[in-house]
Amino acid sequence: MSGASTSVVEMATDSVLDITNLDLHYGSSHVLHQVNLSVSHKPLSILGRNGMGKTSLCQAIMGLHRHSAGNIRFCGREIGAMPPEQRAQAGLAYVPQGRRVFRSLTVDEHLQIVERSGAAWNRERVYDTFPRLAERRRNLGDRLSGGEQQMLAISRALLLNPRLILLDEPTEGLAPTIVDDVVTLITNIVEEGIAVVLVEQNMHAALQAVDEVAIMVGGQVVDVLPSEQLASDSELQNHYLGLDLVNN
Amino acid sequence: MKAGFLALPLIALPFVLNDFWLTQIATRALILGITALSLSFLATYLGVVSFAQITLAGIAGYTIAYFGPNTVGVGIKLPFWVSIPAALLFSVTAGALIGYIARRSRGIYAIMITLAIGVAFFYFTRQNYAVFNGWTGFSGITAPVVAGTSLRDPSTLYFLSLATAAIAVVLVSLFARAPLGLAIQAVRDAPSRVMALGIPVTTPVVAAFAFSGLIAGGGGILNVWYQERISSFSVGLGPIIDVLIIAVIGGLRHPLGAFLGAIVFVLLDTFAVDLIDRDRFNTLIGMVLLIIVMVAPNGLQQLAADAVAKLRAKEHQSGKSARIKTNT
Amino acid sequence: MRLFLIVTLNGLTLAALYFLAASGFSLIFGLMRTVNMAHGALLLLGGYVGYDVVELTGSWMLGIACGGLAAALAGAAVQAGILGWMQGDELRQTLASIAISIVLADLMLWYWGGITYQVSLPDILSGGQKLPLLGVGYANIRLALMAFAVVVGVMLWFLIQRTRFGAVIRAGVDDQDMLRALGFPIGRIFIAVFALGSALAGMAGVIAASALSISPGTDLQFLLSSLVVVIVGGMGSIGGAALGALLVGLAEQYGLAYAPTYGVVFTFGIMVLILAVRPQGLMGRSEQ
Ligand SMILES: Nc1ncnc2c1ncn2[C@@H]1O[C@H](COP(=O)(O)OP(=O)(O)OP(=O)(O)O)[C@@H](O)[C@H]1O
Ligand SMILES: [Mg+2]
Repeated sequence: MSGASTSVVEMATDSVLDITNLDLHYGSSHVLHQVNLSVSHKPLSILGRNGMGKTSLCQAIMGLHRHSAGNIRFCGREIGAMPPEQRAQAGLAYVPQGRRVFRSLTVDEHLQIVERSGAAWNRERVYDTFPRLAERRRNLGDRLSGGEQQMLAISRALLLNPRLILLDEPTEGLAPTIVDDVVTLITNIVEEGIAVVLVEQNMHAALQAVDEVAIMVGGQVVDVLPSEQLASDSELQNHYLGLDLVNN
Repeated sequence: MKAGFLALPLIALPFVLNDFWLTQIATRALILGITALSLSFLATYLGVVSFAQITLAGIAGYTIAYFGPNTVGVGIKLPFWVSIPAALLFSVTAGALIGYIARRSRGIYAIMITLAIGVAFFYFTRQNYAVFNGWTGFSGITAPVVAGTSLRDPSTLYFLSLATAAIAVVLVSLFARAPLGLAIQAVRDAPSRVMALGIPVTTPVVAAFAFSGLIAGGGGILNVWYQERISSFSVGLGPIIDVLIIAVIGGLRHPLGAFLGAIVFVLLDTFAVDLIDRDRFNTLIGMVLLIIVMVAPNGLQQLAADAVAKLRAKEHQSGKSARIKTNT
Repeated sequence: MRLFLIVTLNGLTLAALYFLAASGFSLIFGLMRTVNMAHGALLLLGGYVGYDVVELTGSWMLGIACGGLAAALAGAAVQAGILGWMQGDELRQTLASIAISIVLADLMLWYWGGITYQVSLPDILSGGQKLPLLGVGYANIRLALMAFAVVVGVMLWFLIQRTRFGAVIRAGVDDQDMLRALGFPIGRIFIAVFALGSALAGMAGVIAASALSISPGTDLQFLLSSLVVVIVGGMGSIGGAALGALLVGLAEQYGLAYAPTYGVVFTFGIMVLILAVRPQGLMGRSEQ
């Protein structure tokens, strides 16, 4: 009876992040051109070769580099003018490329400064989920292995109890078994109801974790398609991502 | 043509102004401007703000005082055609040395190091009696007499300062276009990239500081003739900050700003007494500096350039519309 | 031997004072990369306010607290009102803080005049002690000053290394953008740290006015000593400030006692030497 109208409402509220006509410059070089992207609770991956503007898009979403034109709406609110800290408080969490853990903070301090009492994710739960971090809780950030740093960067973001988590190449430079761990972890995050945007160059890892894929070429989102479609179409893969990416 | 527009009134000044305006305002502004130019040269092309330019000027000034006629009985008398080159040689060498010490320092680190060197020199002059005659320094210094006229004669000193300023400006623009000058600008823009390319940074940095020593030295010589004395106070924190203020007010992006800043500074210094309490000059100049830094970080030179550009654009516009009108 | 001991004690006293002044300067630089040239002026402001409060209330401790508070408020206002707007443009901040320092110094000269002030000491701090073992007498206030510096040093260490606020400051030193992306309002943290660093300067001012004396010019003296101390010890490191203060304080006093003519030049000589060998200072991190 009222099925149609509810689904319209759901459609409207289901969209977590809406990016429209986003432009971004570094000085005089124009890096993002009219990027349009909509993220719902379905996990989404952004794939693209080196230098296509994936990290720049993440930085624009987080507010770490101001975009020059366009809109960013998050949970129905325009956040384009907010400083990064307000975006984080609004429920955006960022796991940056290269992890960027704090080199003079211990693992425990990383978690302590972000932890909020009474939230779903707390330090205890992080240590339960990642026993490895519990073992290394007194170690400084720059004394951890790449995999441990990645776990820490993701945990730090989870402690914000975000509505959306933005991960920039979390599998970069990790051993294959650790890559699998990260994929499993992302799947778990999705199951918890947190929206996921996974920026990747590793197509196979990404396709295991997400339902939908956005392709970035030359600072633009050129296509958004279901994961299965990209997974089954090797010609499309070559066309957008090149052989080098598909074969790794 | 453009230079002529600027040069003519400047050359005519002595015939228009009385001695007070010529000496206390025009000549003083030129001399301060030359020293400030040595600072804005480094700031513009090397990207380093140096607090040691008064030190370099002071070294030249002290050399003139020590090797020239003075009334404190310290030093050796030499003819001016020996003492002037010696003064410039010392200031250039000192500039090279400071450049070498600060060769790896940029930004705020360079500021702190040059400031520390400047202050160290100030303390040194206070303690040393053999060469610097302690904190009293030298007085009774007289400028050389050439062909019967003292170089301290108001219009002579003015023309001398004007000529020195003109030569300094020409040298700066020549230096900036020379290969070494281009290397310096490469260091300014991307020091790490220059280093990564394996080009030694030391040579350009040392050369830039040495060259700034030449200009500061010129200012220092004129200043000691103008003041007829020099002491530790001439190289203390006060003059160091004054020259910095002049360069910043004028604009650190363009070497010519130094002279604009110097004029404003000298006018404020001379007439502050009419604006506010003479004793509150520092509050006034501090506020001027703060306002410039906050609203026009590129200084008066940039403001003036923008205004001129705007005016030109407007003229262009109205010229165009006028033409359109005649057409219709 | 007796002279040597006295000179060493004097050097340590001076080092304690230098540490108090330089630690705040270094703290501010470490987090925000701001070279606060108004640090000396804030120190002098604290000293004057402390003097007035001690005269008014007779309480030395209250004088210290109010001196620190006055400088903290002024420092917070400077950061919130002026320097914060230029964050990231270090040169501009340096120039603005020079302007602020000139204005502040002139206004203080106007209000407090050109005379020298010395805070009157409470009974327990006036007079001296015959030091056991060493066999020399030494002024109580100077001993208290050394103790105060040690206490402040330990408290600062505790604050930065052992508290949540300290962890946030360290994170900010490591990677400001990442800290913001975790929801920390960096602007407010900057103001808090600027206030803290200024409070240290203000307290140092009151203590300088108690152990020595203050007058116009004290601001520049302590600004320069702070600069030298952090250049020698390493910018942004509290341990470096302590080490730098020790070296500079001792060098200055030994220089004054054994080579009176060039004592100060000697201090700057150490600095130039360290710069030539280790540009980031003894305990500073290299920039990359
Ligand atoms: N800070 C910067 N200043 C100037 N240009 C930049 C800057 N950061 C990135 N770029 C340029 O912007 C473009 C996009 O870079 P970006 O880092 O967003 O790409 P990416 O897709 O994340 O690449 P990768 O997969 O290698 O991480 C590139 O051409 C890069 O050279
Ligand atoms: Mg990237």
